[in-house]
Amino acid sequence: MTTTLDTPVLAGEEREARPRRRSPLDRERPAVRVAAWVTIIVFGGFALLPVYWMLATALTPDGKVFAYPPALFPADVTFEHFASLAGNSQLFDYLVNSAIVSGVTAVLSVIVSAYMAYSFSKYRYRGRRSLMYLVLSSQMFPQALLLVTLYAVFDAYDLLNTYTALVLSFTTFTLPLCVWMLKGFFDTIPDSLIEAARIDGASQLRIIHSVIVPLSVPGLVAAGLFAFVRGWNDFIFALTLAGPDKQTLPPGLANTYLGEAQTAWPELMAASLVVSLPVVIAFIALQRFLVGGITAGAVKG
Amino acid sequence: MTTAYSRRRMLQFLGAAGLGAAGLAACAPAPKETEPLAADDPKANEKTFSFASWTLNEEAGKPVVQGLLDTITTKDGLTVNPVSYPYNEYLNQLTLQVRGDKLVGAAQLDIAWLGALAALGKLRDLGDAAKDGGYTSTALESGQYEGKQLGLPWTTGAIGLVTNKELLSRAGITEFPETIEDFEAALVELKGLGGGVVPYAASTKVAQLKDILFWMKTFGCTLLDGDRVTIGDDASVEAVTWYKKLYDQKLIAPDVDRFDARALFGQGRAAIYDDAIVGKGAVIKDSPDKQLADKLDPVARPVLKSGDDPQAQLWGHVIVVVEGEAANTATSFARWLTSDQAATDEFFAKLALPPTTEKGLASDAVANDPFTKAFSERITKTASQNPFWRFPEYAQMETVIAEQVQAVLIGSSSPADAMTTAGEQVQALVK
Amino acid sequence: MTTATRPAPPRKQGTPAQGLSGGAFAILLVLPGLALLVAVVLYPLISSLVTAFFEQSLVEPGRRFVGLENIRAVLDSDFLPLLRQTLVFTVGTTLVPFVIGFALALALNTRIRGRGFLRGAFLLPWLVPAVVTSFLWMWIFNANYGVANGVLEALGIVDEPEAWLSSPGTAMAAVIIAKTWASFPWMMVMLLAGLQTVPPELHEAAQVDGAGTIRRFRSVTVPHLRGIIGLVLLLELIWNFQHFDTIYVMTGGGPAGTTETFAVAVYDTFYKGHDLGRAGAIGLLWMVLLLVLVVGYLRVVDREEKA
Repeated sequence: MTTTLDTPVLAGEEREARPRRRSPLDRERPAVRVAAWVTIIVFGGFALLPVYWMLATALTPDGKVFAYPPALFPADVTFEHFASLAGNSQLFDYLVNSAIVSGVTAVLSVIVSAYMAYSFSKYRYRGRRSLMYLVLSSQMFPQALLLVTLYAVFDAYDLLNTYTALVLSFTTFTLPLCVWMLKGFFDTIPDSLIEAARIDGASQLRIIHSVIVPLSVPGLVAAGLFAFVRGWNDFIFALTLAGPDKQTLPPGLANTYLGEAQTAWPELMAASLVVSLPVVIAFIALQRFLVGGITAGAVKG
Repeated sequence: MTTAYSRRRMLQFLGAAGLGAAGLAACAPAPKETEPLAADDPKANEKTFSFASWTLNEEAGKPVVQGLLDTITTKDGLTVNPVSYPYNEYLNQLTLQVRGDKLVGAAQLDIAWLGALAALGKLRDLGDAAKDGGYTSTALESGQYEGKQLGLPWTTGAIGLVTNKELLSRAGITEFPETIEDFEAALVELKGLGGGVVPYAASTKVAQLKDILFWMKTFGCTLLDGDRVTIGDDASVEAVTWYKKLYDQKLIAPDVDRFDARALFGQGRAAIYDDAIVGKGAVIKDSPDKQLADKLDPVARPVLKSGDDPQAQLWGHVIVVVEGEAANTATSFARWLTSDQAATDEFFAKLALPPTTEKGLASDAVANDPFTKAFSERITKTASQNPFWRFPEYAQMETVIAEQVQAVLIGSSSPADAMTTAGEQVQALVK
Repeated sequence: MTTATRPAPPRKQGTPAQGLSGGAFAILLVLPGLALLVAVVLYPLISSLVTAFFEQSLVEPGRRFVGLENIRAVLDSDFLPLLRQTLVFTVGTTLVPFVIGFALALALNTRIRGRGFLRGAFLLPWLVPAVVTSFLWMWIFNANYGVANGVLEALGIVDEPEAWLSSPGTAMAAVIIAKTWASFPWMMVMLLAGLQTVPPELHEAAQVDGAGTIRRFRSVTVPHLRGIIGLVLLLELIWNFQHFDTIYVMTGGGPAGTTETFAVAVYDTFYKGHDLGRAGAIGLLWMVLLLVLVVGYLRVVDREEKA
């Protein structure tokens, strides 16, 4: 037992090689299982009832949406709101823009943060700490104010109404999470691996690409997913910096359904559910990378 | 030890900031200089320009406005780039665009926003274009700012009371009350209908609490006297006291803005509410009652003493043109869109928004539409501008007043204190 | 065997004490990120901070140096209620989702049926476009036709509809709930992933030694997750300070300003009041406040780590 305990915590390579063990809670007393289910039912209800309500609304005919008391189980179901989405080609454009912006943000964010995190994790130099805090403090100022100057900056470089403006902003805003998280991940990779590669004559850049990256795939995927959602969910930057051709979904939805005279609830709910689905499916597919990807990224002094 | 440590950390933060500052000199972009363009500059006649409009992207308005754009682009060989923001974000975004000289062309505006956008000093005076457009004088007035015609009126109406005839008659109200006193009694009757009916779905959320300004006017508060804000005077306090009374007796409901009021009204759960003519379509669409359209009846706002002029707030959309490239082309476009008979007919037929020209109003479709006719005669006829619109910080004033009225409604402030505070805060914004 | 009689303490993972050599390369790696930070955040940040000392309008040209006048004006006008509300919102929207996210992460870390599906399903609230979330919850809590009242009335919990968003007692709670809904999933995912990295050997050893579920949670799970918990809480704190659209959409800062936070105030001051100087002054105070909070927080984390 003692030896097991004293084995250094497994680094990426070994962790992957290790067969997935059964969670220690598996053999738990029934009390724990009950507690788990109670938690899932109570908090799961909180999580999913509003989603149910979105779906119920999307299926309700126009005239009955605002009925009170509300029909908790719609008796009168219509698919017209989902059908009308198919006829709205602009919605598809928004979706494509969102996918491009979020996808590129995810990739760029992973690359930039990985280099930065690697530097913070494996090198020691003056100003390293300061830089780490600079990354963190970049979010400590009202974004509404940043936005206006940013607008002028992008204008000066003729980047307004481009994907580039959105990607650059979103990437920057994901740095704190991605850099600090990846640093925690890289911290668990033993230096001996790097030294060994160096003795074999690998260049520093090559070490990152062929030693570190393969070991860190889960962490990189996790960082990428978070960056993706940052781009996916943003409203105000996308609204301000992207012109009509580059508009992403959140401003697009608001533009289409939250009007002067009318908020088209059922259509809005239908559209939101439909556009969320691909991301949910992607998430479920990528989950095996995600789980285990985020190691105990440390907040250390 | 720990304190020293944290001081070091603080220094690191500051050091980090300093380091960034050092990088600035290299990165700071030079602001772009733009020269004002003379009206006779050939660039002002360029055929490509932008048209900013929220209606252009809303589900209901899109096909109509897009159709109009298609017509003019083929007819005159123009290229119009549509720009659109959600209504609630529209003014902010447009302000940034115009401020940064990014908008070349024309823009749709709510008449309440004219002051804010005009302050940027980039809008063209459209006085010449308006002269022979055949617009009504009320409509023209809605596009004026400090004596200049900055906007061409696209649609003009007012915000007034809309009632559900059926509910009123069920409560035994055949003649809509003329005075506030009778109005209140009618609300009590309506409350008696039961079934969760909100007699008057008046605005009580921040977003549209501005409606109360016209109740204040009804009570005799002028709101603004020269540059002196009169909110806080006895009339305004009386108005808010009265509002609070309706609130406490549940004759008006909490948590209502324009949108909620339409929802309640559409469900037959509100008998009276405030709206502009633009709300009709939404109310009918979301109502289970297919006959609701026939039951809608716009009425004049009750007055303090019989014989007073009923108060209503002017409402409408105008089109403004940003001075500079393509400004001449954009001006003729704006003129065509707002005054061409075929264009305004189409606009009315599809969106039920009344035109702004004498000829347009006289067309059969408009003149014979009972709702539009009643709305113009009973509400728009005596409507007036909100005196605070001319201040660029109008939106902030509106919020300040709304917060104070809310404080009264939830009982955390007395009407007198709240209105005094509101008056002072608005006065501070007048500058 | 003595070491095995108590749960093992968390171990420092393979961070080298010395680090690698190659300073220039290390800096090179940081440069792309640093360039982004300088261009996208630092330059706008400093130029906004500078406006705190000027009288400047969004719509009118020109500006005038006024020294500390803007800061004084902000501090003079209802600063404390604003500060209190901001802290209530920030702390509430950080801790409540954390508790829910952590509880769900623990529950989904057991071998229960359907956990793969549930892990995916619980992400939905996070993936629904955030702009829709606020409207959805505004509608749920609506006093006159909201489904919250509908359900509570059907269950007999309330007799007549409550005005959740228009009563000072409940409005803040309602916006915190809405924000919680949108942000607990990502906390759940982070913590769930963290839980997966707890070496089962630690639990097994502790179990052999007779440690119960709760004790193992306290002495194995939590210490092992300290890093991830710290990061999640810290970032949520900073982000929630920033967050504004849930409040803006649901209550507009009302009723009577009781849900107004710094973020809402900045937005209103900027876009409605056009007062760049004052908005900058709020931003300046905000930044100072957050720095104090974050430094204090990191200090606590440090002390615990040393202990």
